[in-house]
Amino acid sequence: MPSSCPECGSSNVVEDDLYSQRQWVCVDCGSVVSEGHLTTTVSDETQGRAVPYHASTEVLKKPCRNLIAGFSRVRALCRILRLSSDMESAVVSLFERAYNHPNFIFVTLTKKEILGGCCVLSVCRQCNWPVAMGTIGYLLGVDNATLGTVYREFTKALNIEISTIGIMDMLESFCYDFKLGPQQVEEVFAEPPQRLVDRTSALIELAADAWIVTGRQPLPLLFAAVYLAWQSLNPTVRMKYTFVKFCKIGKAPEQSWHRSRDSVVKRLKELRDVLCKLGRELPWLRGGTVEPNTVVPLVDDILKNHRALLLRAVRNYEQQLQNESQTAQTTECDNELSDSNRSESHSSTTPELMDPDQAGCENPADKQATDCQLPPDHWSKRHLFLPPCVKNRKRQRVDAPQLEVTGDEEISDSEIESYIRSQDEIEMYLKVQKELKKMA
Amino acid sequence: MEQNNSLTPFPQGLASPPGAMTPVMPIFSPTMRYNTGLTPQPVQNTNSLSLLEEQQRQQQQQQQQQATPQLYHSQVSTTTALPGNTPVHTTPLTPMTPITPATPASESSGILPQLQNIVSTVNLGCKLDLKTIALRARNAEYNPKRFAAVIMRIREPRTTALIFSSGKMVCTGAKSEVQSRLAARKYARVVQKLGFPAKFLDFKIQNMVGSCDVKFPIRLEGLVLTHQQFSSYEPELFPGLIYRMIKPRIVLLIFVSGKVVLTGAKVRAEIYEAFENIYPILKGFRKTT
Repeated sequence: MPSSCPECGSSNVVEDDLYSQRQWVCVDCGSVVSEGHLTTTVSDETQGRAVPYHASTEVLKKPCRNLIAGFSRVRALCRILRLSSDMESAVVSLFERAYNHPNFIFVTLTKKEILGGCCVLSVCRQCNWPVAMGTIGYLLGVDNATLGTVYREFTKALNIEISTIGIMDMLESFCYDFKLGPQQVEEVFAEPPQRLVDRTSALIELAADAWIVTGRQPLPLLFAAVYLAWQSLNPTVRMKYTFVKFCKIGKAPEQSWHRSRDSVVKRLKELRDVLCKLGRELPWLRGGTVEPNTVVPLVDDILKNHRALLLRAVRNYEQQLQNESQTAQTTECDNELSDSNRSESHSSTTPELMDPDQAGCENPADKQATDCQLPPDHWSKRHLFLPPCVKNRKRQRVDAPQLEVTGDEEISDSEIESYIRSQDEIEMYLKVQKELKKMA
Repeated sequence: MEQNNSLTPFPQGLASPPGAMTPVMPIFSPTMRYNTGLTPQPVQNTNSLSLLEEQQRQQQQQQQQQATPQLYHSQVSTTTALPGNTPVHTTPLTPMTPITPATPASESSGILPQLQNIVSTVNLGCKLDLKTIALRARNAEYNPKRFAAVIMRIREPRTTALIFSSGKMVCTGAKSEVQSRLAARKYARVVQKLGFPAKFLDFKIQNMVGSCDVKFPIRLEGLVLTHQQFSSYEPELFPGLIYRMIKPRIVLLIFVSGKVVLTGAKVRAEIYEAFENIYPILKGFRKTT
């Protein structure tokens, strides 16, 4: 601390800071005797460093840009699907939670988009609002598999319980998607939505009884059922319109059905086959032929009496099987079986009308009969209606014969030698590698 | 059916008298099914089997056992810790009629899941030079840019091994525990012959996969409704139902065709137990038209 002013010689020097700079000033002549550093070192600063962005309150108040974009996208999805405002706010809060979750904060932007779709799907499931994954998929432009993986990660990370949605739940909103009102299309094509829903649900119930529904993608089946229902409600006029034509008439969005067109065709074939099997049992046809491409006019009658027709079809099929097995018997099986067959046929002719399950029950006598013949999947031939994956087995899996080993036996040297290259082979291999490197 | 709950729970084909070398506890028994609340309870099925079918099934089992006695041997599981027993008692082909009669619905299914894949690991106990192995072995492939291990295959038992430079090895593709052990030993022997001081330490079975066919179609939609807390069925993602059983901790893939895949087991008995647990449940959903 200086004691005297070099200008005037007085000893009246006081410390008088100029803003934050320490200065010693002479009181008498006003000259600055000495001054401190203008800048400070890090250790001097009591305030510390500047506050980084991520710790500032600005982060809390203003969410990141991608999150804002995500919010608007998610809200748009909710509006397209016409969700209520409560559901929309639930979706938005769920999306915020998911976005900021450590598993998802650093993923790619496309994945964050899909995450928005998953939030919508999850809230819809919770509120029993029927939305298929395929719908969300085509709205986002991703396929089911990608959506599925993100959805599984999302439910696991946020501990959300998944509830399954049935095909019948999706039916009504699906049917209403088709614009077939009397004001929207011509008279011959128009169909009040409720009638379409009723007919389609009857068809799908029939398909479920015939094992076409379980394990399959619901959307192609819904398309096929709606198309058949629409045709059957006015068969004389509508028979000539193909499925693609129907979608164009009903103004179904092309992305929703275009990709699954092949599946729809397959489901149509399966549905028509089931209808044919039942159509053949109609007594007033008197055994006339029922072909898949002409069965649609009969759909009305078939659906009205479907329970009785199912019973008849199954019973006739079993009768047919019994007759076949009886003629193919060896003598001893024959004697044993004809007694049990007779007793079984008595019991099977009196099933309760509301319990078609009993009619298709495993026939123990038949089982023993088929064991005599021993084909590997003979159980499938006992049933008239089966999941198509059972009836259309493409390739018989051949199990290799089981090795009888103990795990601790001796390993022969020759076997091990066969897995090791000889010196010549190694040299040749190295030579070839060198040549290839030279050429490349 | 009551006459079957006699003092001879063991099949006729075996020479062991009951009582002399009785196993301490059968690996799985129908009574275990009702132990904890975590074990799925079978829904009471309306299609109860007729007596005739029941007897025929038992007869079939007897015939099967007598016709193929060597089958027991290959199903010996050397990894299960049964204290000092002859392994033949653990055969699951035994009709598991309990000595203390439980409910009549607790007969065994008569179907045996087949093991399809065993994954095991072993430590060879020394550092390995993967380039040398890939150069000097005929059956090895090594692409360090794609994967940091040598992929080696042997013909018998038909298996694949991943051999890492740390000396650890994963062996996959075997159809039984003993085959997996034999295969792992063969790989270790190959590595030894290539000049490394390979040992055979800590052989452990990590995963077993089994499959079987219940021979009737299953209503998966019904199953997911009644067993919601265990099942996950998304037909848009996967055609099968994924059932996560808690006891034993096994994941089952159940398909509409009646085929069931069981995975996640460390010992064979877990697969059998899981199947015996699920079979009565599936029977409840067997609705034929």
